[in-house]
Amino acid sequence: MSAASSLYVHGDSVFHRLAPRAKIALVAGLFAVALVFDHPAFVVVPLVVAFGTLVALGGWSNFRRVRFIVVAVFVVGLVVWPLFTPAGGPIWLSTPVVELTRNEFLVALGRSMRFASFIITGLLFVTATSNEELVAGLRSLGVPFAFCFAVGTALRLFPTLLGATGTVRQAQEARGHDLRSGSPLQRIRNYIPLLIPVFMTAIRNVQTQAMALEARGFDTQAERTFYGRQSLAGSDWVAVGVGSLMLIGSVLVRYVLGMGTV
Amino acid sequence: MRELFAMWRDTRMILLVAVVAAIYAAVLLPFKLFTVIPGITSIRPANVFPVIFGIMFGPAAAWGAAIGNLIGDVFGGTLGPGSAFGFLGNFFFGLVGYKLWGNLGPLSSGEEPNMRSVKQVVEYVIIAVAASAACAVIIAWGVDLLGLVPFTVLGPTIMINNTLAAAVLGPPLLYLTYPRIKDMGLLYPDVMREEDLEETSFSQPVVAALGMLVVSPTWLVLGIYVFSPQSTMQMALGGVGLLLLVVFVVIGNQGLPAQLKGANIR
Repeated sequence: MSAASSLYVHGDSVFHRLAPRAKIALVAGLFAVALVFDHPAFVVVPLVVAFGTLVALGGWSNFRRVRFIVVAVFVVGLVVWPLFTPAGGPIWLSTPVVELTRNEFLVALGRSMRFASFIITGLLFVTATSNEELVAGLRSLGVPFAFCFAVGTALRLFPTLLGATGTVRQAQEARGHDLRSGSPLQRIRNYIPLLIPVFMTAIRNVQTQAMALEARGFDTQAERTFYGRQSLAGSDWVAVGVGSLMLIGSVLVRYVLGMGTV
Repeated sequence: MRELFAMWRDTRMILLVAVVAAIYAAVLLPFKLFTVIPGITSIRPANVFPVIFGIMFGPAAAWGAAIGNLIGDVFGGTLGPGSAFGFLGNFFFGLVGYKLWGNLGPLSSGEEPNMRSVKQVVEYVIIAVAASAACAVIIAWGVDLLGLVPFTVLGPTIMINNTLAAAVLGPPLLYLTYPRIKDMGLLYPDVMREEDLEETSFSQPVVAALGMLVVSPTWLVLGIYVFSPQSTMQMALGGVGLLLLVVFVVIGNQGLPAQLKGANIR
């Protein structure tokens, strides 16, 4: 199984201790910087900051899991974007098949860095934020309780179903079921004996789980109280301030000073 | 459209959202058939779930597919601004199925989706294509807007990989599971209150269904062949396309409740 049930890495860093809302503000700030600028010299800043923080927080193993994706988006971006970018500036690469101008290269590099920056910043967030904090963060942002409950339940069911999926796969393969044989269409059809047991097992429990919840007084309409609701501390406000500063600052630098374009 | 919000009052519908999300994410991550663009998209058998769950579980599948995709991003390490468009695209991937089934006029089989006749399979495949297109255009538009991957590249890629899995796996899965889900009493018309599924005064179910059927493929074709990536026209096309989809959701209605009622009367 390629995916473990969580990417969260336990830690006691300042970033770990921030309230989920403050982490969201910081991450949004990094996203904004990567999104607003086109020039690689500017986009590299959030990329390096996010990567450095990720490694410092013990997220190297998480990065190793997605390194293939990061490399792939980089390569695909470098290949694809020049095809859709107006040529400009001196020719930097000339082959019998293709010519690459400075403008095309810088735009492609900037876009690839932006994509990589998004992935690594998102990874930084899930590395330092547990599933429970994620749901608490949604709730503290004003997302309705029923929705947060569904997300929380799905996050708890997910590892169980991931395990069940692996078990069903092994069981069917032990019976001689070969997922990789046949034409492409046949290979798609080969998944039917795997999907049905996973899906029916999960659905079968819905009625009893609903009854169990309602027997315990589950009511989405009633006003709810929460144990351990986290209010924003001083460090959280600082993080919110830094996130806002990154957002506003990058917009000003880009659109008022006109910097960061190719 | 009322059902999309009214369903949050029902415990079973909320649990169905969670289960759909968990199943979708759990099958999405480990099973990859063919990689289409390395690191960006691949053909995944899980793409059948939003469509068949949409037909059976209605609004719970729309929310569940959206949340499931988000969980896939969280656990797959690809959470980012693009996840917002992934959420919206997968929401429509699950939503189109129950809005279109039974409302396609001459293209509808007029029967429950138990896949016991060719007409039902044809109706299902049309719906799978429409749902895949809606998901593809919304995600590709959003990702193009963010400057990550051009619409021209990602739109057809998502369209093909969603359609293949949904169209090939959907009919046999529905054939095998629909009668069991119906017996369990978990079809959305059986779970939700009748008044939450009733037509409103401005409902135009057939117009809305045919509109949804046309808008997404048209948007896809224009986005690929007419407008260049990241252009103002590409952005405007997306805005208009999304607005039309929302309008059709608002004036649309679901066809399965009437079919079940008809079957019970007989």
